Amino acid sequence: MFKLIFIKELKEILQSSRFTISFAVCSLLIILSFFMGAQNYLSGQAQYEAAKQENYNQIAANTEWMSVNHSIMLPPQPLMALVTGISNDIGRDIEVRGRGELSAQNTRFNDEPIFAIFRFMDLEFIFGVILSLFAIIFAYDAINGEKVNGTLKLCFSNSVSRASFIGGKLAGSFVGLSVALIIPLLIGCALLSVLGVNLSGDEWLRLGLILVSGLAYFGLFLALTIGISAMTNKPSISFLIGLVVWIFAVLITPRASVLISGRMVEVPNVDEITSEKNRYRFQLFADDRPKMADFSAPEGTEPQQVMQEFSKFMNELSEERAKKTEIFEEKVNEQYINKRRQQERLALSLSRISPTSVLSLATTELAGTSLDLQNRYMDSAQDYQQVYNDFMTEKTGTGGMTGFRMIISTDDDSGEEPETIDASELPEFQFQTATFTSASKESILDLGLLILFNLVFFGGAFFAFLKYDLR
Amino acid sequence: METTNDTIKQAPLLEARNLTKVYEDGVKALDNLNIKVMPGEIFAMLGGNGAGKTTTINIFLDFIQPTSGNAFINGIDSNLEPLEAKKNVAFVSENVQLYPNFTAMQNIDFFVRLGGKSNYKRSDYENALIRVGLQSEAFDKKLRDFSKGMRQKCGIAIAILKNAPAILLDEPTSGLDPKAGKEFTKLIGELRDEGKAILMSTHDIFRAKEVSDHVGILNNGELVAQRTHAELKGVNLEQLYVEYMAGYMDEQESSGVLVNDLN
Repeated sequence: MFKLIFIKELKEILQSSRFTISFAVCSLLIILSFFMGAQNYLSGQAQYEAAKQENYNQIAANTEWMSVNHSIMLPPQPLMALVTGISNDIGRDIEVRGRGELSAQNTRFNDEPIFAIFRFMDLEFIFGVILSLFAIIFAYDAINGEKVNGTLKLCFSNSVSRASFIGGKLAGSFVGLSVALIIPLLIGCALLSVLGVNLSGDEWLRLGLILVSGLAYFGLFLALTIGISAMTNKPSISFLIGLVVWIFAVLITPRASVLISGRMVEVPNVDEITSEKNRYRFQLFADDRPKMADFSAPEGTEPQQVMQEFSKFMNELSEERAKKTEIFEEKVNEQYINKRRQQERLALSLSRISPTSVLSLATTELAGTSLDLQNRYMDSAQDYQQVYNDFMTEKTGTGGMTGFRMIISTDDDSGEEPETIDASELPEFQFQTATFTSASKESILDLGLLILFNLVFFGGAFFAFLKYDLR
Repeated sequence: METTNDTIKQAPLLEARNLTKVYEDGVKALDNLNIKVMPGEIFAMLGGNGAGKTTTINIFLDFIQPTSGNAFINGIDSNLEPLEAKKNVAFVSENVQLYPNFTAMQNIDFFVRLGGKSNYKRSDYENALIRVGLQSEAFDKKLRDFSKGMRQKCGIAIAILKNAPAILLDEPTSGLDPKAGKEFTKLIGELRDEGKAILMSTHDIFRAKEVSDHVGILNNGELVAQRTHAELKGVNLEQLYVEYMAGYMDEQESSGVLVNDLN
């Protein structure tokens, strides 16, 4: 009986005009999101290469390493284009100095602010918003529609158990609709290769898990809606309830959890932190002023030597201040980061009530565009800062300095142009991309929750139907 | 109207024994109902809305549980062993809808298989559809394009193909035009002649009188009158029915004179 009902469900779905229209719209949106993702990635890659080259050219035009202004950039990743997460919201460019706090500038929205209003139509959006709605549209009358039509009575006038009926219906709906979604997803994957977006094996695996998460999310909404349909007598009522659930899951819960956590855990804003750091820096500088004023070179010292002595003295003061500032800023940053993470953890925990939040977290973790992206980028930048500092120390005798800088040059009467530096000597910035193993570990909680939601909603629909009034 | 084969009249194929149903809101839908339908018999239940006709059928199909009493299909208690009992019964509802996106053939194939018959060929389905009067052009058309009469014919074809010994019909002629109604009456007569036990709820007094072996009148869950086909000859059933429904008849007279004790 299960098989018979399963096949009937498949046929019924495939032969309905509701399916034809939805499948066409879904396919179009899915393929479009892959296409736009690929295009975004390719243009991002071109921009990244151009910016890197420009940075290289600027460095290569210098005659002294001391004059170098060096920036690193967040390299685009194919999965970032497919599941954008926070990748467009964080600064992509960091000016690297040998010492001092790094700050990322220029988000994607600086270049294209229109996307800040309408956001990107990535896979997370397609699954989270569109497919969950389609699940409701498909399943809102799955049970009560059959009751209204009289087919439920006719089915159960035969020797059919409720368990095999609802089991066949749940499985048939899920398989029928999932297979229909897998087709455009596979076309989208093929499109990536056709458009020249080459994914590594690791990235394919992560993309595969993203798609599985999306289908699991679709499945849980399908089961939830069938469950609602099995608890109501009128399709109009189940559609309305499904819509209210969708609004809470997709629109309200994720935002409300952020608001609630913001109320519960207060985090000082960035301006306050910056102001505190600046005050401390000014204080240190003010403390050093008398020392600077007291500087004097031994009598009879040559002016050039006086300048060198002064430069050395200032460097020593600067180094000392920098060390103190670094310690202070580290402490302030740590406090800030701890508070912020506490707030984030609370917001994420609260938001996980909603399957949509769970999907967002799982897919962004797998794509490497979750909140951790910013940390990974800054960690990579800080690691690079150390390497850069060592390099600059080797080249200039001092690290890439911040703040006061004194360059002493002498007139060269030889008439020859000074040689430019070899920019290729500069150490290359390596961004630590997420790997399949790290992403799986990070997303395991959310993937587990998606499975749990599925079990709860499929089970709920199953047991709701066992008590359903068939009349 | 006699059955063609008296030898098969041994035990009732459909039997309601002291069937009582009181809903949760306190409404008594059935009150100690006793009905027997033997093989080769048609029993028509007449009654107004809320008289208990559909409740009786729902209990036979295990859609609801009786408060007390039993409903047997071919001797099997339909509430204790519903899956086993339902192998012996086919059902045609008041408004056969079927699956609108399926063709007539696809609908029939699904429901016949659901009824446990998986050895039929397309020609068997075609024969059943022709028998109920459906034109061959309609076989592969989607049900959403069918009229009510055509859908009803499909429902009857499904019941025929299930080939169960008992058939439950819930107001099967409701909404059918006179021609379709007449065809339907002829058809259930044929099914009766094949030995099927048919329990039919209906508002159609004339057709009930024409085709049924027994006519029972239900009022507020009680079987207030029961007549055989022979007893109805020369009786104005419509008047009798209206009087019972309106409660004009003296209760004692009706219970003493007109109701046959089925037990």
